[in-house]
Amino acid sequence: MPRPVGRVGPEGPVRSGLGTLETRRRRIGLAALVPTLLILLLILAYPIVDSLLLSLASVNVAASGFARHFAGLDNYLALAGDRVFRDALWSSAYFTALEVGLVVVLALLVALMLVHPLGRSPIFRIVLIVPWAIAPVANAVLWKWILNANYGVLNAVLVELGVIERNVVWLGTGSRALHALLLVDVWKSVPFIAILFFAGINKIPAMLYRAARLDGANAWQQFWYVTLPSLRPTIAVAVILQTLWALRIFDLIYVLTKGGPAGGTVLLNYLAYRTTFNDLDLGYGAAIANVVFALSFLLALIYVWLLRPGLQHGRA
Amino acid sequence: MRSIVAVGLASFTFLAVAPLLWMLISSVMQQQALTSTPPDFSAGSFTLDNYVKVFSSAAALGRGFLNSFIVALSTTAAALAIGAPAAYALARLSVPGANPILMMILATQMFPGIVIAIPLFIAMSRLGLIDTQLALIIVYLSFNLPIVVWILRGFFLAIPAGLERAAAVDGATMVQVFSLIVLPISIAPLFATAVFAFIESWNEFFFALILTRQSAQTAPLVISQFAGQYQTVFGQMMAAATLAVAPVVALAVVFRNRIMRGFAEGMVKG
Repeated sequence: MPRPVGRVGPEGPVRSGLGTLETRRRRIGLAALVPTLLILLLILAYPIVDSLLLSLASVNVAASGFARHFAGLDNYLALAGDRVFRDALWSSAYFTALEVGLVVVLALLVALMLVHPLGRSPIFRIVLIVPWAIAPVANAVLWKWILNANYGVLNAVLVELGVIERNVVWLGTGSRALHALLLVDVWKSVPFIAILFFAGINKIPAMLYRAARLDGANAWQQFWYVTLPSLRPTIAVAVILQTLWALRIFDLIYVLTKGGPAGGTVLLNYLAYRTTFNDLDLGYGAAIANVVFALSFLLALIYVWLLRPGLQHGRA
Repeated sequence: MRSIVAVGLASFTFLAVAPLLWMLISSVMQQQALTSTPPDFSAGSFTLDNYVKVFSSAAALGRGFLNSFIVALSTTAAALAIGAPAAYALARLSVPGANPILMMILATQMFPGIVIAIPLFIAMSRLGLIDTQLALIIVYLSFNLPIVVWILRGFFLAIPAGLERAAAVDGATMVQVFSLIVLPISIAPLFATAVFAFIESWNEFFFALILTRQSAQTAPLVISQFAGQYQTVFGQMMAAATLAVAPVVALAVVFRNRIMRGFAEGMVKG
């Protein structure tokens, strides 16, 4: 039986100049952690606190720097009556709900096909990893060309197939542009979530399927009664992660639509950016950013709770 | 069932690959060939001119690539140097409060960039770090550290503890155990984590947009500006995009198995 080192040696507790081995371990462990914690505090915690303070201020940008005046909850009160904000909130909710739903369902389909004997080819791993790896900006530039109204390949193919009669200006109206963004984002996001699901399905004990087959379960019943319940924690994590990512979509909007046409693709994150860095209304921009933050924080809490230590055993 | 799966897999592969293939093909086609209906795919339409021209049209591109390399490499090196000991401490050194610290590290990943962007922009302006590589490295470090710590901790936990115990009994110090035993047998996961951090830093756009002006601009920024300015020069636009994704796509394809395992372990399992 292995003896726990650092507690009791052959002749009682192992001692050194610095105390027991155990306390020394802790001390070195803390020392190893300090740089990481410091950086996270400095680059993440401090800005988060400052962003809260900023949102309570009205900020003037002058040549000399930034002049802050405490304004209480003015910025937040202004949000309530701001139509642009309300539209962005609504668009974000619509976009996020649809995006997450589509990504999770499609990724699940892909993962299920990949565990089928036909899907075992190593080629599919490349197919999955490449869309994940390409820069969102390059992806956006690529789709700008694909969606081009006059020469874009999407119009050419759809006209050729007879799906549409003449070229569609995909980024021409607010609603159409929002849905185009949605499709591009789904295209980019499905492979990663499919990888998560694929790993999750592979961890389901084969025994469960054997037992189900012995009970006469067909493919659909095996999916419904074995795969889906075993995969539930993974799906929950995927939904939360994807929601967080959908909420902070930025690169696509910046390259493809800049929020237009007619503000149709202004989502919360982009609105916060535009208010801060184009309108230079730092306090108000921070207030919008904090709304995104509050929503994300709520989701992050759920995520952390789902992954809490102790839950890690017996999950798929 | 078999035929449904076959059709499904074929459509998935087509949908995933076709856009990228089109990017590659467009990047070696002449403008007239791309803008004729239907596109002219005869042999004479193909050219490498776009790649040559893109560097003269976008003088900033070369500098952008250089900046991207410097920023991504520095971030990756720093994240590993700082993150690996922290991950080991959390995995093995019975640090008090390891679990809350882990949860906190995980939670930091969830913050939307925009919320820290505004204060960071102000702080960097005051420090005179706007438009420097250092500003980007610091910010990217803060995104990548949590991921590095989280993934490496999983790998360190999987190392049989007996190995370290044996060394400790032989009188090796903690630092020796870590640097002479744990690190050498973790080369593969360390490398996979490095690839991950490199790709993330290489692709980052939002903070590069906010914190750089000109001399520290990274490749994604140059590409986006180029696409805005030359949006009707399709072949060159695609050549620029292809160049920007080529290094990371190559890395991802080569290390796909390790990266995918890292995702699955790091994201889903504690």
